[in-house]
Amino acid sequence: MFRPRTNLTDPVNFSFEGRRLTASRGDTIAAALLGSGVFIFRESAVSGIPRGPFCMIGNCYECFVQVGAMGVVQACLTEITEGMQISKVSNSIDESEMGIKEISKR
Amino acid sequence: MTTQLPLCDVAVIGAGPAGLTAACELAEGGRDVVVLDEQAAPGGQIYKGVEKVFADRPQDIRFLGGEYAGGERLMHRFRQSGAKYRPGVSVWQITSDQEPELGLGLIENGSAQMLYPKHVILATGAMERPTPFEGWTLPGVMTVGAAQSLLKSSRLLPEDDVVLAGTGPLLYLYAAQLASFGIRPQAILDTRPSMSLRAVLLGVSALAACPKSMLKGMKWLWSVRVKMNMVRGVHSLKAQGEDHLRSVSYEVRGYRHKLSTSLLLVHDGVVPNTWLSMSAGIRHHFDSAQSCWVPDIHGAGSTSRKCISIIGDGARIGGASVAAMQGERVACEVDTYLRTQHCSTVATQSRALRRQRRLRRFLDCAFSPTADFQLPADETIVCRCEEVTAREIRQVAARGCMGPNQGKAFTRCGMGPCMGRKCALTVSQVMANAHGVPVDQIGHYRIRSPIRPITVGQFADMALVPGQDKKAS
Repeated sequence: MFRPRTNLTDPVNFSFEGRRLTASRGDTIAAALLGSGVFIFRESAVSGIPRGPFCMIGNCYECFVQVGAMGVVQACLTEITEGMQISKVSNSIDESEMGIKEISKR
Repeated sequence: MTTQLPLCDVAVIGAGPAGLTAACELAEGGRDVVVLDEQAAPGGQIYKGVEKVFADRPQDIRFLGGEYAGGERLMHRFRQSGAKYRPGVSVWQITSDQEPELGLGLIENGSAQMLYPKHVILATGAMERPTPFEGWTLPGVMTVGAAQSLLKSSRLLPEDDVVLAGTGPLLYLYAAQLASFGIRPQAILDTRPSMSLRAVLLGVSALAACPKSMLKGMKWLWSVRVKMNMVRGVHSLKAQGEDHLRSVSYEVRGYRHKLSTSLLLVHDGVVPNTWLSMSAGIRHHFDSAQSCWVPDIHGAGSTSRKCISIIGDGARIGGASVAAMQGERVACEVDTYLRTQHCSTVATQSRALRRQRRLRRFLDCAFSPTADFQLPADETIVCRCEEVTAREIRQVAARGCMGPNQGKAFTRCGMGPCMGRKCALTVSQVMANAHGVPVDQIGHYRIRSPIRPITVGQFADMALVPGQDKKAS
């Protein structure tokens, strides 16, 4: 895929599926993962086949990942931050993605 | 309670050469301008990350090319112009012309809000033309634009096993950039047919009009041909692998070849990103020269809604120089509109703009879209989100389905999170082909807001005026 980057000037630590990884400050989540050799980001909602980033400009919605408290985000438009815990999006339906849980709590 | 609506004179959506030039002109003229940008830093796709590259890794500038470096001057002007810059903002709605106020629905830092400008300039730029082929949903298949974006913003360079496929100026530019970083792709699978006589004649005209751009392009192409393994006349591209890409196969003159690789980058030119303009109810038509949908434009950027202008590649593919010229021209139109509430379109076109038109006519002809990608084989997935194949589209067309909107009801094609951005063009073309009618007659998906995903929670919590918390009221 992409060459691993060496000598990151301003490193940021994060995790994907429990694996500890490092990226460069200012990277998007997608760049951080691709630069760490991760290219399967989620399972498709229809058949569950693996998917990864495709367009990198926010249009294809292939790069959805689950980020701790933020929920499901587009990895190509979201900046990586220190300590971010990222996981794959599986094809089972999660109510929290729809924002339904937050409303029903009120 | 007195309500103070968040107002401004002009909201510019998009921070590429078109949007930034228009914002600079208007802000320097004393207008209250807000630039809304989905990205984290100004520059659009062409000048992506240019400020950061200049600050953190100036040694890379010469590899990325002179045109990219030129973006730094525009960023400097923009930062001094007085226009407000709001990065990381998605626009999910433009209110319809039935509403009393022109309003924009935004998502910023995860929360939804409204902005009420007097005028909106859409400078949403281009997106890559859909390139459906068997296996294009496998992780490891990406667009050339995606890879170039990763190079500009994060200095990610592909391994040497990378394969490039398709056609279009961006593909050759990216290949030439890789060469300057010392990377030689395993192969460049060129799907472009040999140049027609018409293309050659338009090329001569373009060379006379824009010699600098033409010579630059020829230099890229030449350096790619000489230094790299370029395969001409490629068709029937396939990507193979179980959970991610393992190999690519293709046909040349009736023989199938196979290459092992973990990264395939595809490109087939760019088309205007019209999702916002379509959702705003602006009239569009199918541009047969560029094989894509474009908004109806008169003057520099006036549309069928007088409070909304469109400039840059989002109006019609013209490239960065044309985008900047349109930004300059539209500023006069918008300024007149704000003073008089009437449209006065700028009719005169500068010589420079007419020269660029000649260059564009050549590019449109010489790098016309790849036939395989326009009318994909039956088993190819067309709608990536809902996994609908070309066969299913053809089947519903054969059963009498006349257009993409009716097709949604039968197949769910175009109803996933991307809202048809990666399949709309293909579906319209496949249906037009099945019925033997022009694409214009088949039409486009009806695009409705919200055009960016917004959760029910974000919507429910939206403060309609700043400082007013819906939860507290």
